[in-house]
Amino acid sequence: MQLTPLQSKLFKIYYLSEKAVTLEFGNEINENILQKISHFNSNLNKNPFPGLISTVPAYTTLTIFYDPVIVINNKSLSGLDCFERVSNYLAELELKDHQSESSESSLVSIPVYYGGETGPDLSAVSNHTKLSPEEIINLHSSATYKVYMIGFTPGFAYLGGMPAQLATPRKATPANTISAGSVGIAGVQTGIYPLTSPGGWQIIGQTPLKLFDASRPKPSLIKAGDMVKFDSIGAEEFKHLKNNSDAATSY
Amino acid sequence: MAYLADAVPVSGVMDQLSARIANIVLGNPENAPVIEFTYHGTTLYAETDLLIAFAGEGAILDVEGESLPSNRPLFIPATTTFALRAASGCRSYLAVSGGWNVPEVLGSASTFLTAGFGGIEGRTLQENDLLHSNQNLSPLAINIYNYYKGTKLNYPKWGAFKESFLPKWKKVVRVIPGREFTWFNAESLLAFLAEPFTVNIRSNRMAYQLEGPLIKRSKQQELISTAVAPGTIQVTGDGKLMLLMADCQTTGGYPRIGQVAAADLPICAQLKPGDKIYFEEISRKDAEKLYLQQEKNFIELKASIANKFA
Repeated sequence: MQLTPLQSKLFKIYYLSEKAVTLEFGNEINENILQKISHFNSNLNKNPFPGLISTVPAYTTLTIFYDPVIVINNKSLSGLDCFERVSNYLAELELKDHQSESSESSLVSIPVYYGGETGPDLSAVSNHTKLSPEEIINLHSSATYKVYMIGFTPGFAYLGGMPAQLATPRKATPANTISAGSVGIAGVQTGIYPLTSPGGWQIIGQTPLKLFDASRPKPSLIKAGDMVKFDSIGAEEFKHLKNNSDAATSY
Repeated sequence: MAYLADAVPVSGVMDQLSARIANIVLGNPENAPVIEFTYHGTTLYAETDLLIAFAGEGAILDVEGESLPSNRPLFIPATTTFALRAASGCRSYLAVSGGWNVPEVLGSASTFLTAGFGGIEGRTLQENDLLHSNQNLSPLAINIYNYYKGTKLNYPKWGAFKESFLPKWKKVVRVIPGREFTWFNAESLLAFLAEPFTVNIRSNRMAYQLEGPLIKRSKQQELISTAVAPGTIQVTGDGKLMLLMADCQTTGGYPRIGQVAAADLPICAQLKPGDKIYFEEISRKDAEKLYLQQEKNFIELKASIANKFA
């Protein structure tokens, strides 16, 4: 029963399934670990092993999915079974990597029409935080957020870095329908609903952009490791961008 | 699995064993689009001649009272009405020569119901839906079609021997201990591996809720959300088990007590509410051997079909 993960300097490796291993970079949510994960992820994708299918970054881990049939049959990988072969490859890749340059992360600007019909809970947030709506909008749109991971539902980004003064608890009773593109606050987190769904976040605005579109070659607008800024726009520009939302994937 | 990082689940068929067999016996690519039925009741009408194959314990195909065998090509002449009758499992698969014709989304023909895309308009099939097959048949598929076509119902006495892929005792599901296995107390771990668990009504393509002895922690700590996979067994705050399936979320924060061996996932796909299962421990090395052996079995099945109809 192999419960002790294999280790290298940067991460511990553990078995998730016949087709996946997970690298553990730490046990805290912080930008340092996010940076390490993004860097290794980028490096691995530039130097894939035969059989690599995809990688999934999360707060403190990077999970690597592969095809065991390719891995076990490939002559360039060493190890008795797939877990060993993939682990050996990853540990070696980490050893060979001397660069400390930061990986490619994009700054994605998300236009948001705050308040009004699209931000029905802005006043509730104002009441809780004792800040005026203008102050809330200023604070929310002046911070730079880091994307820690995409999970929960296609295109949903877990963002870190919201100013603490904006923290507001989730609604006691979730709303039945929150429109796709809604920007919300839940506790110390902020995020965007990529698809229409029920939810309990306090909705302060909406973006006309489509966070997730299955017909795009890159279906998700943002990925783990990216930086995000919210840009306050007016009603007119919101309508205009919404009409062109298929074209407005790069803003 | 290419879009897991965008939180798009693998989705696709729940019982890969049945679906792949149905395609292989027709000479289709293994992952050609199939229709997944949950339980029975559907009636289908052949607008043209059809060469189909049916697999999975969720239903039995019936033509005017005659049960049709599964795991082999079935020639259905035009104007035949056929239907799915009740059986003991949960899901079944209908493959057609060439595969069903659906547009690809994100490189896949699968339907992701939760987000409403893929397959036929991102939804379940409805009455009066008209389905077409792909016209591009492989030479092997053409040979098989020509062999069985005719003016009446026709099918071989042979069928793919599915039993060679599955363990004998189908109510035992083998699991590899999960990363957080040691977060649970000894009594709970013993119960997990000795007592039966019952599939709860709150079960679907995303996850099954399992009821049995409550699984209690020895450590009170929170798991930071991390990637999970179909087959992952999570333990929720109330001590109940969640077995993640094909449409599961790509990341999760509940501690993981085990990972169902990939070779045993087809057993799970056929479970329905009320069914009881037992978990048995297997090492990751043995689980991998089982998986690779099962993949070899598929290659052998394909080779024997190719030989038969070369």
